Amino acid sequence: MKMKIPTLALLLAALLAVAGCSDVTVYEPGVYKGASDPLVEDLRSDELRSSLEERQRKQMDR
Amino acid sequence: MARMKFLCDSERCIECNGCVTACKNEHEVPWGVNRRRVVTLDDGLPGERSISVACMHCTDAPCAAVCPVDCFYTTDDGIVLHDKDLCIGCGYCFYACPFGAPQFPQKEAFGIRGKMDKCTFCAGGPEANNSDAELTKYGTNRIANGKLPLCAEMCATKALLAGDGNMVADIYRERVLKRGSRPQTWGWETAYKDA
Repeated sequence: MKMKIPTLALLLAALLAVAGCSDVTVYEPGVYKGASDPLVEDLRSDELRSSLEERQRKQMDR
Repeated sequence: MARMKFLCDSERCIECNGCVTACKNEHEVPWGVNRRRVVTLDDGLPGERSISVACMHCTDAPCAAVCPVDCFYTTDDGIVLHDKDLCIGCGYCFYACPFGAPQFPQKEAFGIRGKMDKCTFCAGGPEANNSDAELTKYGTNRIANGKLPLCAEMCATKALLAGDGNMVADIYRERVLKRGSRPQTWGWETAYKDA
């Protein structure tokens, strides 16, 4: 019986340690991991887009 | 959807370095970092040519392909940006980039490179638009204000063009037609003139 208690305790600890491994986040390679850029959404607005296009046309003056 | 690109007309570039200065001033780029630089071929010889080079915002960016922490992202308009909070300064992007665009401040001890810095097409980073954090980390966000990159907008000879790739190509095509031929800065004759 004396031998069984430490063995059981070790087994329990090992089980708990392995249980902790279940909460692993697997990241998809090659996919951006950072915060989202608000500019990406802003660039979809027609107002900003027309403003940029007007600036681009100014490069045609020479 | 536009596809933002830079194009430097080597026939017009006079190596004034105005684009380099404008970029450094606008974004308060630290010493030792050049987001844009002017490269001169055959300097001092007849027929010398200069081109202004920065991040070319590649369609299939090799810097993003090799980044081990995936800190690069591309906007719908094809502007390649990165998150400095994720960057570990490994330098892989520097070796992958064919234009030498990624720069490292090298401020820290033992040769640690620090966070990578590169041309953002004046589009900042993932921080809130025109916030202090964005200004400190990435520089001014002109695109959010409806403006094009300053280097191109202030180019005195209009050698450096920026904007939608189709529009930039149209401008360049028109110039080439007026000149009668395309410049031989690149191409077969330059590369294989002795062959």
